[in-house]
Amino acid sequence: MAAPALSAHGVTKRFPGGVVANEDVDLDVRRGEVHALLGENGAGKSTLSNIFTGLYRADAGHLEVDGVPVAFSSPRDAIDAGIGMVHQHFRLVDTFTVAENVALGEHGRFRPRVAATRVAELGARYGLDVDPSARIWQLSVGQQQRVEILKALSREARILILDEPTAVLTPQEAEGLFAVLRRMTDEGRSVVFISHKLDEVRAVADRVTVMRDGRSQGARDVAGTTTRELARLMVGRDVLLGADHVPRAPVASDEVRLALRGVSATGDRGGAALAGVDLDVRAGEIVGVCGVAGNGQRELAEVIGGTRTATEGTVTIAGTPLRKADPRRAQRAGLALVPEDRLHTGLAPSLPVEDNLALMAYRRGPLSTGPFVRRSRIRDRARDLIREYDVRCPGPTTATRVLSGGNVQKVLLARELSSDPQVLVAASPTRGLDVGAIESVRALIVQAAERGVGVLLLSEDLDEILSLSDRIAVIYEGRLVATVDRADADVEELGLLMGGDTAHRTGAVVAPS
Amino acid sequence: MERRIDRPRWLTVAVPLASLVAALVTGAVVLAAAGKDPFATYDRILQRGFLADGALSATLVAASPLLFTGLAAAVAFRMGIFNIGGEGQLVVGAIGATWAGLTVGDGPVGVTIVAMLVAGGLAGAAWAGIAAALRAWLRTNEIITTLMLNYVALNLATYLIFGSRSPWRKLDGSGLMFPQGKPLPDRAEWPSFTVGDVVLPLGFVVGAVVAVGLFVLLRSTRFGFEVRVIGDEPRAARHAGMRTRRVTFVLLALSGAVAGLGGASDVGDTRQVLDPKALGQAGYGYAGIVVAALARLNPLAVVVVAIVMGGLANAGRALQGPDFPAGLVGTLQGLLLVCTLAGELFSRYRIRRTPGLQLSDDPPAPADDGAPAGATA
Amino acid sequence: MNAAALGLVDLLATTDAPVGVTELASGRGVNDNIFVVIAVSAVFYGTPLLLAALGEMLTERSGVLNLGVEGMMLMGAAACAWTSLNAGGPGWLALVLALLAAMAAGGVAALVHAVLVLTFKVEQIVSGLAITILAGAAGLSSFLANTWDLGRGPVRHRLDLIEVAGLGDLPVVGPILFRQNALTYASWLLVVGLWWYLFRSRPGLHLRAVGESPATADAMGIGVVRSRYLHTVAGGCLAGLGGSFYPLAIIPLWSDGLTGGRGWIALALVIFGFWRPELILVGAYLFGAFVSLSFTLQARDVEVSTQLLDSLPYLMTIVVLVVVSAGWARRRLGAPAALGQPYEREAR
Repeated sequence: MAAPALSAHGVTKRFPGGVVANEDVDLDVRRGEVHALLGENGAGKSTLSNIFTGLYRADAGHLEVDGVPVAFSSPRDAIDAGIGMVHQHFRLVDTFTVAENVALGEHGRFRPRVAATRVAELGARYGLDVDPSARIWQLSVGQQQRVEILKALSREARILILDEPTAVLTPQEAEGLFAVLRRMTDEGRSVVFISHKLDEVRAVADRVTVMRDGRSQGARDVAGTTTRELARLMVGRDVLLGADHVPRAPVASDEVRLALRGVSATGDRGGAALAGVDLDVRAGEIVGVCGVAGNGQRELAEVIGGTRTATEGTVTIAGTPLRKADPRRAQRAGLALVPEDRLHTGLAPSLPVEDNLALMAYRRGPLSTGPFVRRSRIRDRARDLIREYDVRCPGPTTATRVLSGGNVQKVLLARELSSDPQVLVAASPTRGLDVGAIESVRALIVQAAERGVGVLLLSEDLDEILSLSDRIAVIYEGRLVATVDRADADVEELGLLMGGDTAHRTGAVVAPS
Repeated sequence: MERRIDRPRWLTVAVPLASLVAALVTGAVVLAAAGKDPFATYDRILQRGFLADGALSATLVAASPLLFTGLAAAVAFRMGIFNIGGEGQLVVGAIGATWAGLTVGDGPVGVTIVAMLVAGGLAGAAWAGIAAALRAWLRTNEIITTLMLNYVALNLATYLIFGSRSPWRKLDGSGLMFPQGKPLPDRAEWPSFTVGDVVLPLGFVVGAVVAVGLFVLLRSTRFGFEVRVIGDEPRAARHAGMRTRRVTFVLLALSGAVAGLGGASDVGDTRQVLDPKALGQAGYGYAGIVVAALARLNPLAVVVVAIVMGGLANAGRALQGPDFPAGLVGTLQGLLLVCTLAGELFSRYRIRRTPGLQLSDDPPAPADDGAPAGATA
Repeated sequence: MNAAALGLVDLLATTDAPVGVTELASGRGVNDNIFVVIAVSAVFYGTPLLLAALGEMLTERSGVLNLGVEGMMLMGAAACAWTSLNAGGPGWLALVLALLAAMAAGGVAALVHAVLVLTFKVEQIVSGLAITILAGAAGLSSFLANTWDLGRGPVRHRLDLIEVAGLGDLPVVGPILFRQNALTYASWLLVVGLWWYLFRSRPGLHLRAVGESPATADAMGIGVVRSRYLHTVAGGCLAGLGGSFYPLAIIPLWSDGLTGGRGWIALALVIFGFWRPELILVGAYLFGAFVSLSFTLQARDVEVSTQLLDSLPYLMTIVVLVVVSAGWARRRLGAPAALGQPYEREAR
C-alpha cells in the first residue's frame, strides 16, 4: 500500500503548567481520503493540527509526509510540504478582494488580473464559486471559508486540514463544502476534517480517528462503526464512573427564578446563534446545559445578562421581564453572571482585586455615599470576601490579572454571589482550572443552590454537568435539543445529542415541549 | 522581552530619575556640540527659572496655563481619550472669559472672576463637546477632530479681532489704526497672593484647586471609578452595566472645561485682553500634553511638572540672546519627554533570556465559538 | 513658551504675502484669469503638502500614526538650508545635495519615532508629539538654525520654474501643468509611482496587509515590524522633502517655524484623501488653493473672511472623518484597520 499522505507517530506535546495536550498520538491519513478527527473540546485535536502546520513542535514523536519523515521549524515549512489549513478564525484581510487575499500567500509579481483569473479557475474546478473582485467583508461566512480553501489550493496543498469548518455554516453551505471536499479527494488530495459533530463525520469522512484527553482512540472506518460507538469513544465511559452526583437536599421549590420563552438571537457573524430557546430554572435547582463550545452558550449567557438583544422571545428574571438588553436591569432583578471570558468580560484585569470585587455593588451604599465611593469600605469588603471565599492573593490591592485562574474565578464568584442574587448563570466555570480550584468552584455553586439560588450551569464538561445538575439540557446549534432529569440521563445519549445526532434517541430523553 | 506582571516600587522612582539624567546628559552633549558651555547654561536656566529674585513668581505665571492644559490632557488620557485639542479649548475659553470680563468687568471683582471662570469653563466644555459627541456616538476618532478644532478655534479668535468689528475688538483710539483686542477694565484684573517672596497668581491657585479636585474625582467618586474601569477594559464595564458612551462624553467635555479655565486664567491673570497671536504662538495646549505625559497622568504631579516646565519656559524667554539660542528650551523639553517615554519601557517590560525557542509555547486557547474572523492585535 | 511652539504663527500672518504669489499672479502670459491664477498657486502651495502627506500615507498604511510630521518638515527645511548655504560646487549639485539632506533629516527624525513606537512600545500619539516638540519651531530646528546661523542670508539656490518644451504658453493648462518647478513635477511622478506601488505591486500588497490585519500578515510570513520601520522612515524622508520646499521655493530667508504648521494639514490630508495617493493629490491642491485664496481674492477686492477660508480645510476634514468612521463607510473608505494599534504576537 502506498505510504499515507500524512502521518503522526507517537506525537506528544506538553505545555508549561503540566498540561499534556497530546500523548503518544498516532495518526495516518491516506491519500485521497477524508479523514475525520473527532473529539470534544480539549481532546487535543487543535494541538495536533497545529503541529501538522508547523506552529508547534512536538516534544516527542515525529511526522511523515508521503512516508518521509519531516520536521517543520515554521509554518512556511509546512506550507512548502503541501499542508494547508483552514482555521476556525479566518486569516483574511477584510478590506482586500478575494484575489488579493489569495495572492497574499504567493510569491512573485503581483498581477491583479492574473490573480483574479486564477481564482476563477480554481473556483470552477472545485466548485468554490466566489467573485474574485468581491471584498471579504461583503462575503458571507460560507463564502469567506471558500476563500480560505482557495488560498490553500493555490499554494498546491495536497493535504488540507479543516478545523471545525461547519461551525459557521448553514446546513446547505455544509453540503456544498462536502461536495468540494469530495472533488478534492477525487483528485488524490487528502483532507483532515476536525469536528465534534457525529452526523457530519458520517456524511463526509471515509475514516475517523477519535481523540479523547490527548490520546488517540484509534482509527476506524466510518462505514463499519455505529454512531453510538463513536459517541462512546468520544465521551468515554470509564471517566464518568468517577462522576458521582454531589449529594444535596432535593429541590423543594416550584418558584421559577429564570424563564426563557422562545428566545432567539443573532450571532456576531449574522447567523442565528439561538433559535427558540425555552428554559426554566427554579429556586434551589441546578440546570446544566451541556454542549460543545460554539453552539450558542456564549450568546445565551449574553442575552440573559443583557449585553445582547434577543430578536425574539422573553427573558424573565425572578419575575421581572427584561424588555431591553440592559445589564443593570438584569442585575437589579437579581441576576449574577459568571462569564466564560473571565479576564476581559468579567473583570478589568489591571485594576486591583478590591475594585473588581466592587463592580456590582459600587453604585449603592455602603460602598458609596452620594457621588463618592468609600475606598475604605471597598477595601474592608474586599478583605472580607477574600477571606470568605479563600482567594489566594497578596492583598486586596493586587492587580487582578496576576492571580491564578482559580483565584480569578473565586473573585468573580465572590462578587456575584455576595450580591445575594436570585439567579446565577455560570458559563464554563471550571475551564482551565486545576483540581483544587475546580472543587472549590463547584462547591460554591452547590452552596448557592442550597441557599435557594436558581443556577444555570453552562458547560462543555459532561462530567461536571452530570455531577452537579438536577436537570440536564443539551444545546446544539442554538437549540435546546433535549431536557431531562438527572436520574433519567443516559450518558451515551447525551453524547450523541451533543454531537447533533437526534436520530438515536430513546424514550427517556424528552424533547422540550 | 516580556511584559512585567507587577511594577516594583523602586522602579517608579528610579526610572523617571534615570530619564531625567539621560535627558540632561543628551542636552549637554547637544550644547557642547554647538559650542556652548552646558553647565553654565544649565546654571543660568536654574537661576532665571527658579532661584533668582522674582524668578519663581514669573515662573508661576508661565506655569498657570500649562497647569490647566496639563490637567485637561491628563484627565482625558486616563481613559484613553486623546484630547489634543487643549489648544483650541483654551482659546475658546479665553474668548468666553473675555466676553464675560468685558460685560461685567466694571462691577465687583469677585463677580467678575466667577463670571470669567464660568464662561471660560463652559466655552471650553462646549468646544470639546463637539469632538466628544462625535466620539461617543459616531465613533469618530477624537485625535483628529480635536486637532482640527484647534485651528478652527484660532481662526475664530483671529476673526474676532482681525476679521470683524466684534465686541471683542477695541474700536476707538489706537484701535482705529490697527486691529487689537479690547482690554478688560482695570478692576477686572485678577488679584494675586503673596506668600513670602513668591507671588501666586489667582489662576495658579485655581489650577491647584482644580488639580486636587480632579485627583479626588478620579480616586474617590463613582464617576472616577467608572473612568478607571472603562479605561482598563470597556467590555467589562459594559457588562457591569456602565454607560460607557455617556462617561466618555462627560470626561472629554470636562477635559475641555479645564482647558477653558486655562484660557480664562490667561486673560484674567496675564493679558487682560484677547490676543490671538500670542495664544497661537504660545502653544499651551501641546505643551500641556507634554506636561501630562511627564506627570504620568497624575493630577497632583501635573502641578509640579507644570512649575518645572514653566520655569524652563520662563528662563528661555528671559535668557534669549546670542548666547542662548532660541530653540534650546523646546529641545530640552523634547529630550526630556523622549527620554522619559523611552524609560517607560523598563518599568513596563523586562528583559529575560528565553530558553531555546519554540515557535509558540502558549497553551492552546480555549476553543472559541465562532468569534469574529481575523484576530486583531 | 516663546516663538511658535508648533508653527502656528504663519496661520495668523495676515500681513506678509509669502514669496511667490505675486510672481505667479503676475504671470508670464497675459493671464488675468482668476481661475488660472488660483490653480497655479494651488499646485505650487500644494506641493509641500502633497509630499508630506504622501509620506504620512505610507506610514499610516503600515499602521503607524506619525504626529511628528511638522517637526520632520522643519528638520528637513533646516538641513536643506544649511546645505544650500554651505555647499560649494555647481548649482545643480548643491541643489540635489540639499534635497538629499532634507530627506535624510526627515528620515532620521522618523527613525527616532519608529524606535520609540516599535521597540520601546511608546504610545504612538505621545511619541509623535514629542518629536514635534523636540524638532519643532521652538526646538531643535530653531536651535540648529541659530547655531548654524541659517538666517544670515537667503539660501543660494532656488527651485526655478521649469517650462516644458514651450507648452507653458498653452491657454489655461499651460501655466498650471507645464510651468512648475522640479519638485512639483517630481511629486506628480511620486503620486503615480505610489499608486502603482500600493495597488499593483507585491510589496505594496504586503504593506496594505500589514496595515489592515497585522495578524494575517504575520501568519503569511510578512515581517510586520520591519515593514513599519521601513515605511515610517520613508514617510519621514518625504516629509523632510516637503519641508525643503519652503526655503527653496517659498521663503528663502530662514525664519523659525517657516513651515507654518503645514505638517498638521498634511495629516489631515491623508484622511481627506482616504489614504489614496490620487485623492491626496486632489486634496493637497484644494488645501493649497485655500492658502493662497485669501490673498488672491483680496487683491481683487473680493470680500471673503480670511479666517473662514482658512478654517474650511479643517472643517472639511472633520466631516470626512465622521463619514469615514460611520458604519457603512468604514470598510469601503476607511483608515487602515490596525492604525495606531501596537502589534504584539503574543496578544493573539
